[in-house]
Amino acid sequence: MPAAMEDFSDLVDVDRCTVSPRVFTRDDVYRAEQARIFTRSWLYVAHESQVPEPHDYLTAFMGEEPVLITRDADGRIRVFLNSCRHRGMRVCRLDHGNQKLFVCPYHGWSYDSSGRLRGVPQLETAYYNELEREKWGLIEVPRVESFRGLVFANFDAQAESLADHLGAMGWYLDIVLNRSRAGMVAMPGCHRWRLEGNWKLAAEQFGGDNYHTGALHRSMIQIGLGPQGDYRGEHPWVRDFEVKCGNGHGWINFDVDMGELPPAQAAHFEQIRAQARETLSPAQADLILTIHVGTVFPNVSIIAFMGFTSVRVWQPRGARGIDVWSYGLIERDASPEVVEITRKMMGLTFSASGIFEQDDGVAWGDIAGFQGGVVRSRYPFNYQMGHGHGRTMPDKPGLIHPPSTEIGVFGFYERWRELMATEPPDTP
Amino acid sequence: MSTALLQELHGVLVDEYWLLDNDQLEDWLALMDTDIRYWAPVRRDLDRGREDFSQPHLLTHFDEDRTTMGLRVARLRTGSAHAEEPPSRVRHFVSNVRILEADGVARVRVTSNFMVFRSRSGREETLFVGARHDWWRRTDAGWRLHERMIVFDHDLIDNITVFV
Repeated sequence: MPAAMEDFSDLVDVDRCTVSPRVFTRDDVYRAEQARIFTRSWLYVAHESQVPEPHDYLTAFMGEEPVLITRDADGRIRVFLNSCRHRGMRVCRLDHGNQKLFVCPYHGWSYDSSGRLRGVPQLETAYYNELEREKWGLIEVPRVESFRGLVFANFDAQAESLADHLGAMGWYLDIVLNRSRAGMVAMPGCHRWRLEGNWKLAAEQFGGDNYHTGALHRSMIQIGLGPQGDYRGEHPWVRDFEVKCGNGHGWINFDVDMGELPPAQAAHFEQIRAQARETLSPAQADLILTIHVGTVFPNVSIIAFMGFTSVRVWQPRGARGIDVWSYGLIERDASPEVVEITRKMMGLTFSASGIFEQDDGVAWGDIAGFQGGVVRSRYPFNYQMGHGHGRTMPDKPGLIHPPSTEIGVFGFYERWRELMATEPPDTP
Repeated sequence: MSTALLQELHGVLVDEYWLLDNDQLEDWLALMDTDIRYWAPVRRDLDRGREDFSQPHLLTHFDEDRTTMGLRVARLRTGSAHAEEPPSRVRHFVSNVRILEADGVARVRVTSNFMVFRSRSGREETLFVGARHDWWRRTDAGWRLHERMIVFDHDLIDNITVFV
């Protein structure tokens, strides 16, 4: 490691299972994360259904970098930095659409959906035809791979495959994404909201913090909508459990009585149950349509609850800011009535106005906003719950423990520490 | 459209916001028709004229009926809805009230602009700005809100913990 590179690995104590508050509040830690984590991790960029046709595009972010996701003329999904090679302005400032050329508003350089530089104003009179246009195409993100419709990209050309990176997490994601023959599509639009807080607080919670529900979401339990009764669930180890999946990923599975469902949704669930017996293994099929919450390291989480599936990216915006982008997925063959039921449930529960999610924002903002003081920073946060009590099981991968435990949450920081202590890769 | 009707509806909107400013949420809820639709589509950056709030299945920040609105109020009354404890300081402003259509005087389509200021414990102050597209219905008990589409003028919105 070069002498100039500060090693932040002492901020996570892997023996005592503690994490320094500085991980969530300090700008130098944040800057280092951008260089050492976001340049070599698989980052979620889009759902395949959002760019179905040639020249369809979507704009998104990989960490702080704006990106343009296109389907090129040959039907391949490509990911480029959304930045003109001349002065860097975004060549596309719309959310999505279909176009063959992206014209930079500033000086008019234009690029096609394969990223090639096509038009340059005054090419003859100002550049004397000396500009090597083939060398000034959009900067392409070298690795793009999909998992069940979820498109991830990676700036590190040498990164392991997405499937290897997901490992055990892929088995759990399948329970949602591969439970029906038709597969899933993204509903139009995106919930986008800005929170105070550090992106990791959101990612770690979805990756294995079931513990907070009883306190932070107490109001939901009081009005009869949160998990009632035994907090370990009715079926600990079987359908109520958390998983440390490896590579920083974590999964929560919780089985709750969903009460009486609208008839259309009940019929939809029956259809999924029948199909899942074909598309999934018996152990996976046994878990469908329970509550699933998970984080794919570093910053994309999934929550599937009462029929809706939200895939959300925690966009890092400084040490104390998160832009949440949440897309809604639904079975491709769901009836319009079912889509409407799930769309409404997602807005009611997990969104900018969500009656669960409102309270999460308050906790994350409080920690990142108030706990950066010199004195508080000397005392680490406690992540010790349940270590040494997880089990491997024959029917499902990863290290398993019923709620509540922090083995999955702390796994996130073990991976974080590993990446923060090593030099960033060469990136495009 | 008669000036009297405009004045009457303006008064209804001002009274409604007085209730919200003063934490009279149950009385505010009583203004909702039994089959109210109270909803807010997400915004998008698209080519001029392409944004379409009637697109099927477009995501919504919320899309509520009387039951789910009641749940939100009940939650705020538990004392442990942490996003609103201690209660935020909220001030609602309504302006630019226009009556677009009226079925006689029984059912009236009203649009208005709003600003809602919110200040929460130790946190950033937030301004929610947008327009409301309402249908109000005259009943024996007074005016009832039948539908409200709220168009927030935000690309990235804050946590929506307040009614608008």
